[in-house]
Amino acid sequence: MTGPTTASLREVGPAARGTRPDEVVIAVSPAFADFFTRTIVDVPHAEVLRQVMAGVEEQGVTSRLIRVWDTADLAAIAHTGAKLSGSGICVGLLSRGTTMIHQKDLARLSNLELFPQSPLLDAAVFRGIGANAAQYAKGESPEPVPTRNDQMARPRWQAKAALLHLKEFDRIRAGVKPVEVVLESAPSLAG
Amino acid sequence: MDDGSRLVVGVDIGNSTTEACVAAVDAAGRVQRLGSALTRTTGVKGTPDNTDGAVTAVRRALEGARRDPAGLDLVLLNEATPVISGLAMETITETIITESTMIGHNPSTPGGGGLGAGTTVPIDDLVGDAPVPGGPSIVVVPRGWDFDRVAAVLNDAVGRGLELVAAVLAHDDAVLVANRLTGEPAGGAIPIVDEVGAVERVPLGMAAAVEVAAPGRTIRTLSDSYGLASVFGLDPDQTRQVAPVARALTGNRSAVVVRTPSGDVSDRRVPVGELVLTGAGKTLRVDVDAGAEAIMDLLGRVQPLEDATGEPGTHVGGMLAQVRDTMTDVTGQPAAEIRIRDVLAIDTFVPREVRGGLAGEVALENAVALAAMVRTSRSRMQVVADRVAGALHCSARIGGVEGEMAVRGALTTPGTDRPIAVLDMGGGSTDAALLTADGACTAVHVAGAGELVTKLIDSELALDDRDTAEQVKWYPLAKVESFFHVRHEDGTVQFFTEPLPAHVFARVVVMTPDGPVPVPTRHPVDHVRRVRREAKRRVFVVNALRALRQVAPGGSLRMLEFVVLLGGSALDFEIPEMIADALAGHGIVCGTGNVHGTEGPRNAVASGLVDAWATEPAGEQAGELAS
Repeated sequence: MTGPTTASLREVGPAARGTRPDEVVIAVSPAFADFFTRTIVDVPHAEVLRQVMAGVEEQGVTSRLIRVWDTADLAAIAHTGAKLSGSGICVGLLSRGTTMIHQKDLARLSNLELFPQSPLLDAAVFRGIGANAAQYAKGESPEPVPTRNDQMARPRWQAKAALLHLKEFDRIRAGVKPVEVVLESAPSLAG
Repeated sequence: MDDGSRLVVGVDIGNSTTEACVAAVDAAGRVQRLGSALTRTTGVKGTPDNTDGAVTAVRRALEGARRDPAGLDLVLLNEATPVISGLAMETITETIITESTMIGHNPSTPGGGGLGAGTTVPIDDLVGDAPVPGGPSIVVVPRGWDFDRVAAVLNDAVGRGLELVAAVLAHDDAVLVANRLTGEPAGGAIPIVDEVGAVERVPLGMAAAVEVAAPGRTIRTLSDSYGLASVFGLDPDQTRQVAPVARALTGNRSAVVVRTPSGDVSDRRVPVGELVLTGAGKTLRVDVDAGAEAIMDLLGRVQPLEDATGEPGTHVGGMLAQVRDTMTDVTGQPAAEIRIRDVLAIDTFVPREVRGGLAGEVALENAVALAAMVRTSRSRMQVVADRVAGALHCSARIGGVEGEMAVRGALTTPGTDRPIAVLDMGGGSTDAALLTADGACTAVHVAGAGELVTKLIDSELALDDRDTAEQVKWYPLAKVESFFHVRHEDGTVQFFTEPLPAHVFARVVVMTPDGPVPVPTRHPVDHVRRVRREAKRRVFVVNALRALRQVAPGGSLRMLEFVVLLGGSALDFEIPEMIADALAGHGIVCGTGNVHGTEGPRNAVASGLVDAWATEPAGEQAGELAS
């Protein structure tokens, strides 16, 4: 009822460095909304993007989507996006849902906020991530997005996460530069 | 010692720190200071519990001076009367909203703009093909509605003739919905208020108004009594009734007002109790909720204060009883004999969630903070001296009264002369002492010092964390603008070559010596700075003037010439200049003490003790060492 269940990301050319200080880059992994269409707990990728972008929009900031081809490492994806972002802020997304907010001046393996337990991320958390990324871009000091913590997430989901990561890894195109993409599917306005 | 000089340690036991000063005094009375140390005071000042802290301070000072503790000849202690201060803070106003008449919160991102007045309509009534309600409508959207669907339903309803003038949303969706409205009015420029947590309690089918101001502005119509009267067509009597609503909404960027038959916003005063002040042959009573000014006025009329009590069974009664109980435990005196000798009342405010509010609205409620101070005549320093002597295997004695010793220490500050007044600003109390040109010394203690400042900062910023409040008090603020630069509170920018840690990014921080520490607040640097400076001014400047007036000849500050600031709070980066500013108009030279030209505002009493002993006739000195 709300939003599409599948999304496709159409390439529109090489990802350029942004110049607007009011933009947040959302950088996705090679298989995001492509080989995969849902996160590890079946949140549709279309919904993930819709919520993150809505969070950014609610704060009066714009978002730009890019796909990083040459790595499936979240820190590398998010840092690549941050360096291309006009505000220096990027939300990095893996197909299984793991998410990170990064900033261009940080060391690659550091971050502003990390959401490592992909099985615990739902639509509300993705909205919060978008909203916080936009607030960082505005130079505000948001409270970190509240997330749940589940000791059992690791033993329960680790095997599936490993498989998903292998599949993601298979989609890497070594040496290919990041590309700018647009969300093709329009949200369905059921009412 | 071989050269005939003696190793002497002066120990000053204060409310929060114990300081020691080691010196060698030769036969001619010349003092060679060897080192100093400080440690936390153990137990309440002036009680036998102080022994441990005093012994630690002496050992540390000797260690620092590389002297063998076995060679120690004499420990000198100050005569310290126990000063206990108690703190209490009571809220004296309370804002209550009945029947959900208004929502006056500040969501960070309301949508659209302008003013819309109409009837509240649930969004569920607009779904489907049923005819839309006539007349201007304010749509109320409960939880669980997605922003795309809200926009679609509203656009559809407007297409079918709905006169949409405003919307109230449960989620943080206002900008999203505003951006997706296509119908009239053009551009969807209707006011939308979001993040209304208890939206299900908004009365439906009632006349209401929604206002959203442009970014950086505050609402104009709903926060104005006549504005409300115009919107709802009120008569003079009704206008009088809604005046509190208008006042409660002042300063907000967005608001919703619903007109219900008996809805109201009341600003209730909470009974806190009566304070009874006795002194100068009079007994006067004052309600604590009358505010700090009324209390301090009354206090001025009963100087010198003999005792203060609170009405039993009230907050203020409980607070003063607690101070008395602590004192009873410490001194063994019965509670009936303990007298509260000073009270400092301060107006403050506490952010509190409004009772009956629908969106977690916060109102700044007035509160009064009270510091009370007790003194006893019965000091137990002799017991401490005996125990210190036992622990260190040397002689120990009480070398002098604190106030006199502090003045003596302060006089070693370069550039001072008699008559000299000292202000010792510690943790619990502010003490003043005056030494006149003919050598007479008077001293007073007044309630309220560093601890009270910390408490004010903590509650006014709603930090709920004493350690953070303490850091806000001690260090200047800055805003981390990027990983490589911060903007200090005075506007200057400092760059860093190494990136700052990620957890301080974009935050208001205190610049501690260990690096920036984030302050968990949404307020900008300016606001935090103002709260900090106001707290210091209301405690230290007020107390400095109060205490100095009590020691000054004839109560006239013009009779003072030199004022030296001592104690831990004299090390503060702005308190000394605030006090100097306040005293400048009275022709007083005021500055931070620099004991012996090297020690800063610390160690005045401890070195004063040593100096006083060194000037005593040699015969008396020998007598003590022999005993």
